[in-house]
Amino acid sequence: MSWFWRFLMNRRKNDLRDELETHLQMDIANRIERGENPVSARQAAMREFGNVPLIQEVTRSSWGWLWFERLAQDLHYALRQIRRSPGFAITVIGTLALGIGAATAMFTVVDHVLLNPVPYRDPGRLVILSEGDGKSPSWYPPPWLDIEQWQEQSHSFSQIAYSTSAFDGRSYIQCASGELEIDASTISPNYFETLGVKPVLGRDFLQQAPSFAMSKNAGTIILSYSVWQQAFNGDRSILGRSVRINYDTFTVVGIMPHGFRTGMDRTNRAEVWLPFTQLNSQDAKRGLGMNRYAVIARLRDGVTLQAATSEMALIQQRVTALYPTAELRQSYSRIHLRKYIDFLFSEDIHKALLILLAASLLLWLIAGINAASLLLARSTARQREIAVRGALGATRTRVMQQMLVEGLLLGTIAALLGIMLAVFSIKLFARELVQHLLLPVPATPNASILTALLGLTLASVALAAFWPAWMASRAPIELSLRQGSLQGGAAHRQARARAALVSVEIALSLLLLVGCGLLLRTIYNLRQVPLGFRTDHILVAHLSIPGYRFKGQNMTANLYLPMLRRIEHLPGVDFSGLVNQVPLGSTYAVQLSMYLKGRTVLAWFKAATPGVQKVFDLPMSAGRYFNASDTANSQPVAVVNEAFAREYSPDQHNPAAIIGTELINLKKNVPTRVVGVLADVHQTGIAISSQPQVELCIPQISPNTSYYDAIDGFAMDLAIRTSLPTAKMIPALRTILKQANPAFANSTITTMDQIVADSYGSQQLAAHLLEIFGGAALLLSIVGLYGLMAYVVSQRTHELGIRVALGASRGNLLWLVLRQAAVMLTVGVICGTGLALLSGRIVRSFLFGIHANDTWTLASAALLLTLSGLAAAYLPARRAAHIDPMQALRAE
Amino acid sequence: MTAREPYKNRIELLQGTLDMLILKTLQWGPQHGYGIVQALRTQTSDVLQVETGSLYPALHRLEKQGWVRSEWKQTESKQRARYYRITPKGKKQLASHLNRWQQIVEAIGSVIHGTPKRGET
Repeated sequence: MSWFWRFLMNRRKNDLRDELETHLQMDIANRIERGENPVSARQAAMREFGNVPLIQEVTRSSWGWLWFERLAQDLHYALRQIRRSPGFAITVIGTLALGIGAATAMFTVVDHVLLNPVPYRDPGRLVILSEGDGKSPSWYPPPWLDIEQWQEQSHSFSQIAYSTSAFDGRSYIQCASGELEIDASTISPNYFETLGVKPVLGRDFLQQAPSFAMSKNAGTIILSYSVWQQAFNGDRSILGRSVRINYDTFTVVGIMPHGFRTGMDRTNRAEVWLPFTQLNSQDAKRGLGMNRYAVIARLRDGVTLQAATSEMALIQQRVTALYPTAELRQSYSRIHLRKYIDFLFSEDIHKALLILLAASLLLWLIAGINAASLLLARSTARQREIAVRGALGATRTRVMQQMLVEGLLLGTIAALLGIMLAVFSIKLFARELVQHLLLPVPATPNASILTALLGLTLASVALAAFWPAWMASRAPIELSLRQGSLQGGAAHRQARARAALVSVEIALSLLLLVGCGLLLRTIYNLRQVPLGFRTDHILVAHLSIPGYRFKGQNMTANLYLPMLRRIEHLPGVDFSGLVNQVPLGSTYAVQLSMYLKGRTVLAWFKAATPGVQKVFDLPMSAGRYFNASDTANSQPVAVVNEAFAREYSPDQHNPAAIIGTELINLKKNVPTRVVGVLADVHQTGIAISSQPQVELCIPQISPNTSYYDAIDGFAMDLAIRTSLPTAKMIPALRTILKQANPAFANSTITTMDQIVADSYGSQQLAAHLLEIFGGAALLLSIVGLYGLMAYVVSQRTHELGIRVALGASRGNLLWLVLRQAAVMLTVGVICGTGLALLSGRIVRSFLFGIHANDTWTLASAALLLTLSGLAAAYLPARRAAHIDPMQALRAE
Repeated sequence: MTAREPYKNRIELLQGTLDMLILKTLQWGPQHGYGIVQALRTQTSDVLQVETGSLYPALHRLEKQGWVRSEWKQTESKQRARYYRITPKGKKQLASHLNRWQQIVEAIGSVIHGTPKRGET
């Protein structure tokens, strides 16, 4: 801004100079015309004209820009002050930047996740509809026939839309640069209207009668902005052209706006949408084999969620009656409405973010207090300078303005640094954030963040600069001017104010430290949970495969098993195996619902090769795991886990009795036989106990059997246990993967330990951030304490010198100073403990295996703070103890 | 600071009057600074000599008040000069200035010529 002002100023200045010059020239010309000779004419004109620079200056002052020049003067002076004591400036700027940075980063995340998670119109009015029996916690997406009934009978919604994935297996869109993996969904034509979003280019799908006869939408497609950019470089002529996905072609009719998504998962793949154009046989039935659709609906204006829920409950009674069997009628008797926003982020994440936001605000507060206390100390030290300026005629407002400008300058620099810190830290935590939030958080703060930052900065500056400035300008001049009068009333008051500030700082820091300690203990407890399987020395490669290219081929026999054989022979590989998802993984979970002796059974479904058990050292509770004798031609076998056996074993008291019973069909009329029971392990989450699970043997799965499409052509985790350091195995592993199929070349390879760490959930992220916040708070309060004690000692040099001269021992002096620090620490710790006990309730649900008011955590946090505080106070205290009385007395 | 003082004092002494004289001169048409000085000089037969050090601050102040507008134009002798023109707001201001001036002149005149004021018998 300042260069702009200077530019304007200079233009006006030049203008004025020209104007005066013209005046002079005219006068000279006039005089010559009247007969004077040029030389004397010039001299006379100049004499009459007067002092040009002075005229310029007086004229300029009439422009009223003096305030600006004064501001420039203050800024100049402030810069000189910073240069003269860089240590002080760095401390204040660093302190404030830390506070502002932490708060801005958290605001960015919270704004993105809690306030604007999705770019839909009024997302709070969107609800997810699903059905179930109301007893188990599971809710299922409904079949089309039910949706049709809901659309016809309900009055609570302005729109009911539905969607499902468009293709079995993975989808790839063909483009000039090859192919791009995408998520393709089939959506009802009113889907985008329900979300309240229009295409940014082209048009939406055409609305149509539910019969779907002769759909006008057939063969059309709408692309997401990122597909448009990544696959077609944002070419506008793509509208009306045809694109190929797998083996099908579609005509592009629209492009959705930037940032618009409908799928929320960790992959964040670019999306395309196909219209729902025709019903098939699976849509025409209820019960086994029916297609299910995810339903999203928009509440009509003025309708509450409760009202909609009770209306739908009545409708569902009529809908359920249409199911063919009593068993099915029971299974889908209830309807479940859930706000879309709540569905997006678990309560845990909400809570974690709010707690972290509160923690960052605490840190910001601590930083602000610290900066204020530093500025206050400085203004006290500069009291004499201020008094001199006052005596020379500077007004109070002028002195305050000067101090405020200094504070503002420090604040502005701190704000800039803080914003950079925020951007940097979000980038640093990007991986973990995506892991927990399921959507990427842009590191660039948006307008609302900048507004928040501006507010924070102004508040920080007001807090840190105005108060000391106000105190300084109120200090009586003559008292400060008198020699040796710094112990006067005003200075005393300020010292007390600073002591109070430091105590508050200590109390708030203790609060953060306790929170940090509790979460660290939670993480520690989570780590202590025996998982039931080995995680060390294990590498996992997530394989994703363009399944459509293997149409008609047996991927089990032609791709997976040969690759596995090669890996088995790799030096360093002890055991290896394939499974669609490793325990605690988050890539590709399959849930199976089946009918077993008249009951609906819900279980996690896995397909694995025999090696998997050895890789993870999975213990068997009864029977055997898969082995080499289980081939495509032998009896189909299945392995269940204890949780499954407990539920569904024919003998309630003997889970092992399930061995030998028949389970799901692998082929028509060829049921699998249970051959073994795996001991329970924490397969879905560390804090979650084992859940029913059924495993099939990969070598027995082929295109002729069930489950082939769901497993083989989609995702597979390759797990190996190695005796070599895991990092050394990766290159050889990658080579074999690439040889097996070029699509595997860029597979993500990670260690099992990392997968376990990722599964700790939001506690992990919160603990990491709180470690930083807590550490920063500790540092700040120690700096604050040290600063205050150092200042106190330097102010009391004279007095301490007298004490020594009168016979005080070194120990006496040391104690004198330390006692002062101890009082502040005690007050701070007591207040902090009270605060921590009060706020314990907030974090309780977040903890695992530890009480929110855990005495040990509280005590160790308090001890840590006290010890560091005393250590910080010890340095100035020692300086006080070693004061040379002669020097101290002479100095004043 | 100290060097500026004399000028400031003189400007303050003349302020109201000089503003009025400038506005009055501009009523006859747009004029540049030198032209204003010359006009005042000829009209008062060299009695009133306006200092440039007072004129230009006054002109810029009047412009800031919005009583005059300025623009760079060519003179008859093909020289670029900054011409000042009185604005409608300036005209109103001039009228009130003249009015007050009239009152002052009358008041001073009555003191000097000894005409008694009403009610002062």
